This record gives sequence, structure tokens and C-alpha cells, in this order.
Amino acid sequence: MPDHLLLQAVADTAGAYRDFPVIGSRAAVWIAAEIHLMFAAFVLGVPIFAVVAEAIGIFGKDQRYDRLSKEFTRLLLIAYSATAIWGAVLVFLLSTLYPRFWAYLTAIFGTSMWVYVSIFFLESFTLYLYYYGWDRWKYGRAKIVHLGLGILLNIWGTTVMFIADSWLTYMMTPPRDITPETSPTSIKLWHAILNHTWMPINIHRLIGNVVFGGAIVGAYASYRFLASKTDEERAHYDWMGYVGNFIAISALIVLPFAGYWLGREIYQYDQSMGITMMGGFMSWLWVIQAFLIAVLFLTGNYYLWIGMGRIPGAERYRPYTKWLLLILVLGALVWGTPHTMIADSRELAAMGGSHHPLLGALGVMSAKNTAVNLMILATFLSFLLYRRANIRPVVPWAPTGTRIQAGMFAIAAAVVLFFGIRGYFVEAIVRIGYSVYQVGAVLACIVFVTIIDVLMARGAQSLGAIQWGKMPPRSQYALFILAVTFTWLMGLMGFARSGIRQHWHVWQVMQDTTPYAATPALGYAAIMISTCVLIFLSLVGFIFWLGGLAEKSTFVPSTVEAPHVGH
Amino acid sequence: MWATNLRIIGIVVGTLALYTLIANKIPQVQSEVPHALSLGANVTPEQLVSAGDQLYHGAGGCTACHGLGTRAPNLLTDEKGQGPIGARCGKREPGKDCKAYIYESLTSPRAYVVSGYEPIMPEMGRTLSPQQLWALVAFLESNGGTVDVTASDIPPASGSAAPAATGGGGGAPGIAGGSTDPMTIIRGAGCTGCHKMNGEGGAIGPDLTHVGSRLSANLIRESILLPDAKTAKGYEKFKGVMPKMFGNQLTAAQLESLVEFLSSHK
Repeated sequence: MPDHLLLQAVADTAGAYRDFPVIGSRAAVWIAAEIHLMFAAFVLGVPIFAVVAEAIGIFGKDQRYDRLSKEFTRLLLIAYSATAIWGAVLVFLLSTLYPRFWAYLTAIFGTSMWVYVSIFFLESFTLYLYYYGWDRWKYGRAKIVHLGLGILLNIWGTTVMFIADSWLTYMMTPPRDITPETSPTSIKLWHAILNHTWMPINIHRLIGNVVFGGAIVGAYASYRFLASKTDEERAHYDWMGYVGNFIAISALIVLPFAGYWLGREIYQYDQSMGITMMGGFMSWLWVIQAFLIAVLFLTGNYYLWIGMGRIPGAERYRPYTKWLLLILVLGALVWGTPHTMIADSRELAAMGGSHHPLLGALGVMSAKNTAVNLMILATFLSFLLYRRANIRPVVPWAPTGTRIQAGMFAIAAAVVLFFGIRGYFVEAIVRIGYSVYQVGAVLACIVFVTIIDVLMARGAQSLGAIQWGKMPPRSQYALFILAVTFTWLMGLMGFARSGIRQHWHVWQVMQDTTPYAATPALGYAAIMISTCVLIFLSLVGFIFWLGGLAEKSTFVPSTVEAPHVGH
Repeated sequence: MWATNLRIIGIVVGTLALYTLIANKIPQVQSEVPHALSLGANVTPEQLVSAGDQLYHGAGGCTACHGLGTRAPNLLTDEKGQGPIGARCGKREPGKDCKAYIYESLTSPRAYVVSGYEPIMPEMGRTLSPQQLWALVAFLESNGGTVDVTASDIPPASGSAAPAATGGGGGAPGIAGGSTDPMTIIRGAGCTGCHKMNGEGGAIGPDLTHVGSRLSANLIRESILLPDAKTAKGYEKFKGVMPKMFGNQLTAAQLESLVEFLSSHK
């Protein structure tokens, strides 16, 4: 087989590749794929919460959510075209610059590509019906049918994503019985689709898209907030920005769990691939990721804490914010602590070994899992305080309920700390299992505390209406930082996922023999990611501006107070 | 509104610039692509060791686990009082000599999992050619033991037209086919496996980009021929890593060309 690899390496040099002028073929495909993916994430994420908002509007009989949902959907229309255009650019670049590889992929996945195109067609027309039918199917049974269209839109979108995910996950983790000698035409389609990382990537992207969509909607709302000329308009976009941020941060909290699953599957498929990702030449990437996550947690919480300034009664909880900040900062520092790094001799000598004698202990997964779980708990507590800021529960069991909630927080934190510390004294295989207990404790706390809180808020005494729109501009700039950071993080994680294939188009099956075969260093990757983010955000800004030109905002002045999300 | 727009653009561009700057300030490491080996019938043990050395420290990815002391046994240094791998490999499995043991450990790593470690090593036969595997065996034997890998162990490469990037072609006159072009020699001898040159290469040995400003021509020549005679400050830990066979492999013209080239790099 290795002889075959050599033969393939020789054969591939003749006619297998073409180069792209100036920036090279890798950079050209990188840009097209990345921007296509960013638009795709947006148009797949936004319909998920658009349809949820519409359902809340219908069943909660609150027109505000219906209008919000329509405004979300309006943002989708032009973004759909951009997604398709960048998708076409990507296909043309792949087929012209990497013709042999493209032929290989189409030989296996050709049928699924036809299905993909058909569903994309259905998806587009479902979206047109969903948006343009909004005012026509507004009442009674017709409204339920309209909601059904929204659900259908999500089904098409999710199916399209699952199909595309099968192509890229096959490149990462082709089934082990497939070798360089296997003829691509002999590979069964389902066998190729059902590879090791297909479902973990599907779930990870599904959640990631919601996070991303929420962040972009939040940035849109903040722009409209800053451009508002009336208090009512400002109040509306303040609320919309809050909802976008709420969605983004809520989904972000569960995203690491999907990431762990994906990471575990990568390790189970091929230990060396996992080690390359976490401890090999990519080890520094996780330090950058930790920095970005820290920015997200801190900025998200900062936005909430500023938001409490517009809620009567929130001053009761202000003393707690400094402790929450302390937990977040300490957690971020631990999560960002390097462990097994590629280091040169001077760095090794300065550290006194391959691991720092003190900080090395904080760089292991036991400490990092503990830190991130405590950060999630702290962020959830911020949300809880925000939710309760302007109410005083009147149910007779309210003091007991609050004590039970506090107890649940304490138990969850204790479980996280216990397994975090115990992880230092057991073997790695046992330690990995501990993360499940830590995650389980945090999720259980979130679910049960929320249930108690919802029950406790029934008939609660109001301490005053939320003064929507009374937010300082810096809160809106925080939403921009969140959107940029989410987008950059998506680019970085995409680089990690794709880069661990190293010099393989298809891992250990089809070699990349171009001059760009090596996975580049982080510095180059960062320039590429920033370029893609800048192009994407510029286009999004242009699209939103176009949307504003074509149609007035769905904002309708109202005297009805906008509710909290979840109330 | 223009002021607001400018502020938004400033925040977006500033945030991107910050992330890009941080990512460029950390150590820059890119993955390495293993080059196909073309080893002829006259390949010497030194050539095999040199090629294996490059693979071990580079594209083979061995150092991601071996040498850290946690994921996998140390190979180049002592492991639990048994010495480096070349010293202990012949005693690991009864009836199996060092060469057979190391080769099988590479191709079927789960057959011999050292006690206290998990079976995480991939089958290297999936990613490396037999030529590369045998070069690795020779390099590992050379660490504490005797190299007994010969050309007869190595099956002929089917893709003989593949680029010979390491180790030199068997039968070819010296390194890099006898070329006196300094960069061709540097690539052919695999110097950048350990040394940086103009931003490219490893960090095991001192950066050669401005070596002419630190060392005289005589010292550079001595460092090539007798690498352990003097060790650069900060690299004491890696003393003994640089192969000592360049005096036999380089022709006089190649050596002088290389010395002149490096000493001019000030």
C-alpha cells in the first residue's frame, strides 16, 4: 500500500491540479468555502429560532414575537442568494483547481449531490412562500399552516446540511476498510456517509448555527438600535438585540458538550489524529480558542450586567456581579493555560521540562473541564439574576424554592470540583469519563433550577417594567464584538477540523501532493480567517443595508411592554 | 450616524486585528509533509539513520508522544533505567532481535504495548513507505544500539521516480547527488529538519539564518564535521542529536560550498 502512495504521489503531479493566480489554489478554496459556510450557518441557524419565535407568538398570543420572527426571516432572503453564489464559486474552484480530487468525491457522492441540489431548490421556494405568505396566512388555521411552512423550511435546511456534512466528514474519517486501492465507484454511498464523525459534526453544526445566527441577528439589532431616531424604535431593537444575544449565549452553553463528543469520536477513529489536534502542531490553537471563549463569556455577561441597569429591582443583585466576574476570569485563565506545547529548546529549558512545574497542573483536562463548567454555571446564574431582576415571587414556597435553587448550584459546583480534583489521581481513560458527570451535574442544575424559577415566577409581583431602549451605546458595541468573535471562532474551529487531515485530501486514502499540502501555521491561518470574516461581515452589512432600502422595518410602535425571553 | 458607522468599523477591524496579532505572536508551527524516500542498493547505515532522524523529528509525528514521558515511552533517552530504545529493544521480546521488534512495533503497534501505556499508537504502515519505516528502524537502533538495517531489508520502491528528498540516493555521489548548490545540500542533508533557515525548519538546533554573524568559517566547518565538539548555548539538552557522518557523506567541494554559504549569512 505505501508503494501505491508513492505511485499516487507521482501520478498526481500530472494534471491533478491547477494553480490559482497570486493567492494560490488553497487560499482560493479556503476563502470560498469559509464564506459559503458562514452564510450557510446564518441561513440555517436563523430559521430555527424564527419558527420558534413565530410559535411563541401564536401560542402565547403575543404579536411582538410574530413581528420579530418576520424581521428575522426578512434578513434571510438575500443571505440565501449569497449562500448559493458562494457555494457555486466553491464548486467551480474545486472542480477546476482540484479536478482529480473532485472526480474522486463525485464518484462516491454524486447521487447525494443531486439530492442536495433538489432539496436546496425546495428549501428556497419554501422560504419564499414562508416570507411572502406571512401577511396572507395570518389568522386561524392558515397561520398554523404558515408555521408548518417554517418547520418544513428547517427540515429542508437541516437535510441539506447533513448531506454536505457527509462529504467533509468522509474526507476526515473515511471508513477504515477504504484504502488507497479502493475504487471510489465501488464504495457504497451510505457506507461513506455513515462515517465516524458524520453525526457529531451534524449536531455540533446544528447548535453552532443557532449560536452564530443569534449573534448576527444581535449585531443587526444593535446597528438598528444605534441608528434609531425614536425611543420606541430604540426599545424594539434593544429587545431584539437582547433576544439575539439570549439565543446565542444559551446555545453556546451546550455547544462544548457537542464538541467533546466530536473530539471523542476523532480520538476513537484515530488516536494520532486526536493527538495532532490537541497536543501536536495544533496545540497552540486551543490557547487562542480559550482566549476567544473568554471574550465571549465576558462580553456576554457584561451585556447582561449592563442590561440590568434598565430593570427596576436589579440593584439587589449588583453586588454579586463582581464574584461572577472573578469566577469567569479565573476560569478563563485556567482554560487558557497551555500544557503539552510544541516548544523549542530555550523554551523547554526555561520551563524546566516539557510541562511548566506549576502551570502544567492547570493545563490538563481535569482543570480545564472544571473551569469551563464553573464558567457555564456562572453565566447561567447571570441569566437567572437578570430574569428575576424586576419580580418578587409571591408563591408561599418562594423562600424554600430559592434555597433549593442555591443548593442545586452548590451541589453542581461541588460535583464539578470533586471530579476535577479526583481526575488528577486516576488514569486517563477513567478521567475522560468524569467529564460526563461534570457536564451532567451542570445540565441537571440548569434544567431543574429553570423549572423551579418558572414555577416561582407565576403571579409574581412586578417591581416595574423593563425600560427597553435605555441602554448605553457601549452595550451595543459589545454585541458587535460578540458577532465578530463568534464568526472568527467559527473560522478557527473550521481550520482545526480541516487542518488535522494535514497532507491528505482524504485521510490516509488520497494524498494532497500540491505545494500547499502542509497545514499552515496559525499566523497564516489567522490572516486567512480575518480576511474571510471581513469579507463576510462587509457583505452582510451590505445585505442588511439593501434590506433596509427595499422595505421598511417590521417595527410597529406598540404600547405593549416587551417581555423577558421565557416569561 | 457617520460617527457611529466609523466606530462600528473600528471595533470590527480592531477586534480582527487583535486576534490576528495574537495568533501571529505565538510560535508558528506548520505540519510537515513526509517526502518519499528513494534508497538504492548502496545505501549506508548513516544515510538510513539520517533519513530516519528527519522522519522521527518531523513528518513522522513521533515526538507528539514519544519523549514527553506521559503518552508513550521515551525512545531517545532513558526509559525506567533501561536506557534508550537501541539499548533495550533486543531484550523486549524473547527470540526477537532489535530490528524485528522495532519494525513490528511500527507496523503492528498494538502487538507490543509497553506496560503502563495505552494502545494509542497508529499503524505507521498506513502513512509511511517501507523505505521510511526501515529508515526509522535504523535511526531508533542508532540510539543506544547498533544499526544492522541493510539495503537487503528494504524492498525496492515502486515509484522510483518519486522525489528523493532525504537521505540521498543510494549510489549517488554523496548528499544531494553531489550538487554543490548550498541550498540543495541543506535540503538533501535534511538540515532544516532541526535547524531554521530563513524562517523555515525545526527548532531542535540553532537558527542558521544569521549563523555567519556568530561563528567563523572554521567554527562552522568544525560544527558540521564534529557537531558535539562545541554546543551552542541553550541547546545543551540536544547534544548528541546531530548526526556525525557528514564528514563521510559530503564531498570536499560540498563542504566548502556549505561553509562559505553559511558564513556569508550574517
